[in-house]
Amino acid sequence: MTVKTLLLAGGTLLVSASAASASGFQVNLGGQKNIGMGGVGVGLSLDQAAMFYNPGALAMVRENGVQVGVNAALGRVSYRSENGGELRSLDNSVVTPFNVYASFGPAEGKFKFGVGVYTPYGSKLKYAEGWEGRYALTEIDLEAVYVQPTFSYAITPQLSVGAGLMILAHGSVNLQKDLPLPTGPGHVTLDGKTKTHFGYNAGIFFKPSDKLSAGVSYRSQIDATVESGSVTFSGLPTGASAAIINRGFTADKFSATLPLPAVASAGIGINPTEKLTIGVDASLTFWSAYRTLDFQFSGNNGNAGAATDANTGLVGGNTTSTSKRYYQDALAFRLGGQYQVSDKLAVRAGAAYDFSAVRAGYVGPETPDADRAIGTAGLSYQVTDHLGVDASFMFEAFRKQTQTQQDLLNNGTTDRVAGTYRTNVYIPGIGLHYKF
Amino acid sequence: MKLFIKRSAPVLGLLGLGLAGCQPDIEAPSVSAGTANFARYISVGNSLTIGVTDGGLYREGQLNSYPNILAGQFRLAGGGDFVQPLYSEAQANGSGYLRLTGFTAAGLPVTAPVTTNLGVRGGTPQIPLYTKYLDPINNLGVDGIRMSSITIPDFGNFSSTSNAANFNANFERITPAGSSQTYLDRVKATVASINPTFFTEWLGSNDVLGYATAGGAASSITPTATFTTNTGLILDALIAGGAKGMVSTIPDVANIPFFTTVGPTFKATLTANNAAGLVALTGAAAGGVTSGNRKQIATIDIRDAAGNGRQLFTLTSSPFLGLFNRPTGAPWRYLLAQANQPKAALGPYLASFGIDTLQAFGTTAANPIPSAFILDDVEQGQVLTATTAFNTALTTAATNRGLAVFDANTFFRSVAVSGYATNAVNNTAGYLSGNLFGLDGVHPTPRGYAVIANEMLKVINAKYGSTFQGVNPNSFRGVVFPQ
Repeated sequence: MTVKTLLLAGGTLLVSASAASASGFQVNLGGQKNIGMGGVGVGLSLDQAAMFYNPGALAMVRENGVQVGVNAALGRVSYRSENGGELRSLDNSVVTPFNVYASFGPAEGKFKFGVGVYTPYGSKLKYAEGWEGRYALTEIDLEAVYVQPTFSYAITPQLSVGAGLMILAHGSVNLQKDLPLPTGPGHVTLDGKTKTHFGYNAGIFFKPSDKLSAGVSYRSQIDATVESGSVTFSGLPTGASAAIINRGFTADKFSATLPLPAVASAGIGINPTEKLTIGVDASLTFWSAYRTLDFQFSGNNGNAGAATDANTGLVGGNTTSTSKRYYQDALAFRLGGQYQVSDKLAVRAGAAYDFSAVRAGYVGPETPDADRAIGTAGLSYQVTDHLGVDASFMFEAFRKQTQTQQDLLNNGTTDRVAGTYRTNVYIPGIGLHYKF
Repeated sequence: MKLFIKRSAPVLGLLGLGLAGCQPDIEAPSVSAGTANFARYISVGNSLTIGVTDGGLYREGQLNSYPNILAGQFRLAGGGDFVQPLYSEAQANGSGYLRLTGFTAAGLPVTAPVTTNLGVRGGTPQIPLYTKYLDPINNLGVDGIRMSSITIPDFGNFSSTSNAANFNANFERITPAGSSQTYLDRVKATVASINPTFFTEWLGSNDVLGYATAGGAASSITPTATFTTNTGLILDALIAGGAKGMVSTIPDVANIPFFTTVGPTFKATLTANNAAGLVALTGAAAGGVTSGNRKQIATIDIRDAAGNGRQLFTLTSSPFLGLFNRPTGAPWRYLLAQANQPKAALGPYLASFGIDTLQAFGTTAANPIPSAFILDDVEQGQVLTATTAFNTALTTAATNRGLAVFDANTFFRSVAVSGYATNAVNNTAGYLSGNLFGLDGVHPTPRGYAVIANEMLKVINAKYGSTFQGVNPNSFRGVVFPQ
């Protein structure tokens, strides 16, 4: 397993998470063992997934190894309009966030190198045909794949530190909505890939005894920028109204920036017995960086005729669009345990509570966020001395979130819909690990 | 490893599908009637109540009338059938209406009257008679009726002496031949036969609107005393059987696209051409150049989109303002035809106003802009005073009888100022593109009526403790554009 192969894997597997598994469009699915334990990991040194949870703990992971995991995230979003009508749901799609980690280093040495590939942010939703919010959003596909070379160093047998260079190796966005044209609904698709961006994560891990460990970690914000994304219209009139309507839809390019926010976490690990490991994490995601979603439109798709500055780059007659997000920093608390049933079998369970990044009155269909309760279970089976299988299952129940048209009016957020959202997410996952 | 992910994903997907088969449920909120009873609902009013849109009454508009939308909601809480005097499928175009056929090179809308599949059975060009509908009905809306009209006998009985003031062809349509019944009598008879448990009442707009849309050159404003008396009569008739109900105030007409569309463009044109102002007729009085019926209007005094300036131009003036500062008789010929006068009447008419069509239009006192094209500041003052007085009368009468009040005036003013967003669509009071007003610039579109119905339901909920949710306005159309 080389770094090159890993990079290749990250580049070719265009996968994403659905109805993100943590607040906002964050995906907290770093490793199968951790997922089974409610998503804890900052105060633990379980395996190579430490690169994601706390790079400082990597040096304390005894064996070198490679591990790969994949999840199937199935979001079930329901919506009911303020104006009655039937229960709306998503067209169900399965998406597969994944992670791959490899670590290298001398068996009894003080340091470890590692490379991780993972999907920390993403969202994929497609609403039912003709739903009430069609003019806000019909579908979204947001993908972000980070590749992270990591170095971790044990300063003392009790204290280790680590840091990773986060590379946004692949990022893409596809946003679609219907247009309320007087000739009937049209459709617009924004599709673009992000530039390559860099960030870092870092962590400190402290293990004063066999029974206790603790860690803190931080992942920096990356502003994912799309330049020259494509703008495509369909359903524009072709006859008598074409001239008067289509002159407002001339753009063929867009640019936008989406913050992938910073996360600060702290965790504690306890080993009351040799067989039992308990982890507790708290993390804060700095979603307040996400104030507005702004698009700049440009170009001429031909509808402008003789192009001038004034008649090009228009979507609905405007060269820009801005939409309030006003997200809030979101806390999450996680608790999980692992019990080593035998040499070969370990079982896990956990729970978590994530607070919403999106305030009531600001909820948009692209991120129908709400406070959520999470329950998890998992197990590992060591097939041979080297090879093991990990499985996990996560269930998330979102609190029912209602916003009225009056809320939207008060907040200046009438570009989305009033009503009630309720979401469940089911995330089975499986992984393989191989110890050198 | 790639293989592992590729092989695992479908398996996990299937597993997940099995586990995740169930969609989270959001219970439908219960719809209840509160302290009111919606079993038998009747509606009383004018063109707004019967569903006029795009300058005519036709089947689609009727089906999307706000009372019909309300009745659909009432049915969720014990409401019964709601019968409207629908035009048949074969005569679906009813009285005829305007449709948008396209746009000029300059982007101005081109409209054409719909003249097929009409529900017209005869009459004269001045007073067409419509296909009768004599079954019992719940929607008693009558296009063109004023509050001042409700006590006029023979209001639906066509005769040689019928005219616009004492006869209404839309009332004739729903009135048996030969009946001298007044509108008030018809309402009383309906209350007696249907025994309604709930009603809506929205009369009064025509008591100012006719005068306003004629630019103060025709029609008249109803005296407040008459309006107040008749309001009491109609409401007493409606509550006679113990029904609860809702009364609507009338909107200030100065905010409708009929008056707000043309002026801003014309002002911009005049400003661009450095034209300081224009001369217009005001009022209805005949008289020559020096008789005092001419009014000088400075360009800066024309109301623009930002609300600066006072003078309002009617939608009907639009085709003629391009003739500004050129000799023309076209506007006068148009107005005469609108008044159903023969061509021979043109000469005497022009003479009585001292008009010389060889003079430049709008820039000379001898060929002023017709009074019918401008609702000037003085006329606006009269309209506003009357609107305020009428709304006071309506609100007082409703409150005294313990009825709910929908303040349509406040609502439409807020729409004019800030629009009305519905499920991520921003609707405005703008002509054509605003979605809420039809091609006549006065009457709402089906979307507009849906929005009105939703606002009324809020008022009804607040007054009677009911829990109606309303409809999704986006499923109702705005102005129909050709593809």
